Amino acid sequence: MSALIHDGERSDHLVFALAGELYAVALESIHEIVKVGPITRVPRARADILGVMGVRGRLVTVLDLRRSIQVQDAPIDARSRVLLLQVDEEDVGFLVEEVREVERFTPSQIEPASVLGGIERPYLRGVARRGPEMLVLIDLLPILPGREGSALNVGGQGHSYPGGGAP
Amino acid sequence: MAERRDDAPDKAREEFFSEASELVDGFGRHLLALEESVESGHGPDPETLNDIFRGVHTLKGLSGLFGAATLSGLSHELENLLDDLRLGRIPLSTAVLDLLFDAVELYGRILSALKGEQAEPREEVLTLLASLAAVSNERSGNVAFIAEYELAPETLGVLTEYEEHRLRSNLQAGLALYRLKAKFPLATIDSALEELKLRVRPVGEIITYLPTGDGGDLDAIDLEILVASRSAAAELRQAVDSDAVLVEEVKKRDLSQARTPPAPRVSERTDDSAIDLPDGRETPSPPAADEDEPPHVSMHPAPQVHEAAVMPAAAAGRDISLRSVTQTVRVDIRKLDRLMNALGELSLVRGALLRYAEKLRSEPATRRLGMDLLGVHRAFERQLAQMQSGILEVRMVPLGQVFDKLARIVRQVSREQNKSVHFVVTGGETEIDKLIVEELSDPLLHMIRNAIDHGIEPIPERAAAGKPDTGTVALNAYQQGNHVVIEVEDDGRGIDPHAVLHKAVTMGLVSMEDAKSFSLEEAVSLVFMQGFSTRDTATAMSGRGIGMDIVKTRIAKLGGLVDIVSEVQIGTKITLTLPVTLAIVGVLTFVVEATVYCMPLSSMEEAVVFDAALVREVDGREVMTHRGVTLPVVRLARLFSEPPAPQRATKQFLIVARVGTRRLGMVVDRLIEQQDVVIKALGRTLGHVRGFAGATDLGDQRVALILDVPSLIEECLTAAEGRRANDASLAFRFGEGS
Repeated sequence: MSALIHDGERSDHLVFALAGELYAVALESIHEIVKVGPITRVPRARADILGVMGVRGRLVTVLDLRRSIQVQDAPIDARSRVLLLQVDEEDVGFLVEEVREVERFTPSQIEPASVLGGIERPYLRGVARRGPEMLVLIDLLPILPGREGSALNVGGQGHSYPGGGAP
Repeated sequence: MAERRDDAPDKAREEFFSEASELVDGFGRHLLALEESVESGHGPDPETLNDIFRGVHTLKGLSGLFGAATLSGLSHELENLLDDLRLGRIPLSTAVLDLLFDAVELYGRILSALKGEQAEPREEVLTLLASLAAVSNERSGNVAFIAEYELAPETLGVLTEYEEHRLRSNLQAGLALYRLKAKFPLATIDSALEELKLRVRPVGEIITYLPTGDGGDLDAIDLEILVASRSAAAELRQAVDSDAVLVEEVKKRDLSQARTPPAPRVSERTDDSAIDLPDGRETPSPPAADEDEPPHVSMHPAPQVHEAAVMPAAAAGRDISLRSVTQTVRVDIRKLDRLMNALGELSLVRGALLRYAEKLRSEPATRRLGMDLLGVHRAFERQLAQMQSGILEVRMVPLGQVFDKLARIVRQVSREQNKSVHFVVTGGETEIDKLIVEELSDPLLHMIRNAIDHGIEPIPERAAAGKPDTGTVALNAYQQGNHVVIEVEDDGRGIDPHAVLHKAVTMGLVSMEDAKSFSLEEAVSLVFMQGFSTRDTATAMSGRGIGMDIVKTRIAKLGGLVDIVSEVQIGTKITLTLPVTLAIVGVLTFVVEATVYCMPLSSMEEAVVFDAALVREVDGREVMTHRGVTLPVVRLARLFSEPPAPQRATKQFLIVARVGTRRLGMVVDRLIEQQDVVIKALGRTLGHVRGFAGATDLGDQRVALILDVPSLIEECLTAAEGRRANDASLAFRFGEGS
């Protein structure tokens, strides 16, 4: 089970907005936050892959997180940002609408994803409450193509999703 | 969170592995040379034996440092055996050669065991050690021969084992032994000795130099020099041409005299006298005639004595572990990639510089400054280009690195299968990107193995077919433009297309309906289909299937193509066409609708204005006649479902792409320019997308995709090929050949 839930330590999360909702990811998973540059479409790629973008000489594959988790589409504007991750020596970016702030959650603030009901999503980690607000905690890795399988199959070893778990 | 580790031991470990595997590779290479020299009847080449001995010795030292016990144990025993071989104490038989080849194999396995890749071959090592010990016991110690000569025991006593061996070999070969006595002034001893060596070299081999200790002159040294020669004393005297040097023949003892007891063996030179040999090379000498073999004297009419300086063997052994012999630096390829990336960044800087310079030049007020800046830019550009080719050069390695390993495999496999195979390699010096070389060894291994397993017939079958007993597997490499072509060819039984088709149908890979329309060549190519012939590989059928689909995928990943041609009873030839380098490519940039793409120049023939009127639709596919040949055509905008550009291009262009013998015309909207770009790989996230070899930064912050021509050709042509009806009779001949 995830360290996030059980070791009693507080953890830093990056809070961002998507289609009017607030989401949060573990801060340590984010390498960098950059502005959106010109993105080159890659024909025949999965629908949520916007394309490739150059960031200081490195090649970044950019995914539109809204499409990945199937929330409403919106145009890219001045507030849009790309969250950069380094996964197995590869640079991957996730387009989000707006980056808000860094928030520290205590374990007591976090509830398992099962409270959301509906279909299990491998990337859902739980829900955090902040006063009246509700933030959806997500894990970006299982969203990547070619990796979702491994994350699902090894359930419990690599990633662990509160309330979800391995079948 | 990744485990924190100290960097230094890791680096040392890496260094150890790379040095050790280099030594093992060298060992294998030398063994092949040794085998060749033995097979050609020349006997083992002493220089090669010395090289092997030194390599194993160094390996022993290395493994000792790293606590690799099995490795150092094996090396120790091998060292003993090699020493015996080197000193002629045991003959180099085929059995011994086999043991040595086994050792190379085991070294490889032990090394990968140390890396944790596989279990340590403990059993095999023990077996080999036992065999090595058994061989060592057979050694034939024989000093009596030397003892028959009038040599002082004190002289014999200080001979190193190697010198003693050379002495014995020469005497056995019937050469005469001479003693040269000379006094050298200390001040000029180096040059005087050198001159004497030069004079003696054409007529004899210098066995050793020994200071006699007589004379008592403080400014000079008396030397006694033992020379073996085929010439008479008079000739030797003439060659030496100096009154200061006394030449006398060392005679056999009068047998009535009592025999001198055999000289004690001394493995290390005890006197480190003032004789510092200016020329410290070892002695390549005429092949040693061993007493167990018929003397090879007649095969070497002239005494081929090249070198005179004799390096004491034991001293040689002591030195090697201390001194690094080569001028080379090992570099992790990732470091080169980083350099390459930095270089890519620099070319972006160059682009910006050019833009500013031109802007300045266009303003009258700053025109002067702009011109100067352009000059600076040109110099910068030149240096960048030099740096780029420099880094590329470092990445290039000769294919011989892989080929040497393959020669060992051929030897091993042909023995296992009890087949006689002659392995011919050409073009080992052809250079290719290091990364490609690394990826090539597995596919080549498969191909060579298959050629012997399934291609080359057992001897009786060859005899029945009227072929020579020894089959030939040829490995050729050569550069062709920006590609390197590697061919593996055998003169075996070939692939029977009917049998392949039959099998593909029985395996359910091809429908009976489709099978009818395959041409003979297409049928042979079915061996590359995934899942083909993964079982019953040992049937009488001519299928050569182990992992041919893997070969194809691997080569495709490197941007290469595989072609196969085979004729029943004549043989099979598989051709790999690979790019020379993966890092930098010359491309033509072009536009499809509103998107810029890059076409590797190495994969294209030409770009011309596209005439849509020439296009015909055949069987649902577009083709056109281009330069008298039918060319399949694909419209990239359609293939890539490109969003339409705001303005339609009035005329279009046709880029003719070619890989190997296959061509494809690609219709594009506008051509931009040719340029060199640094390829960046698309990540695993885009692993599901086919058709692109990578992407590159074009310098205006925009990334452009580089077409993967082999995969596009594959995609656009393969599906079509299967449909072409070519040899209708094929379908009726199913069942034959199996």
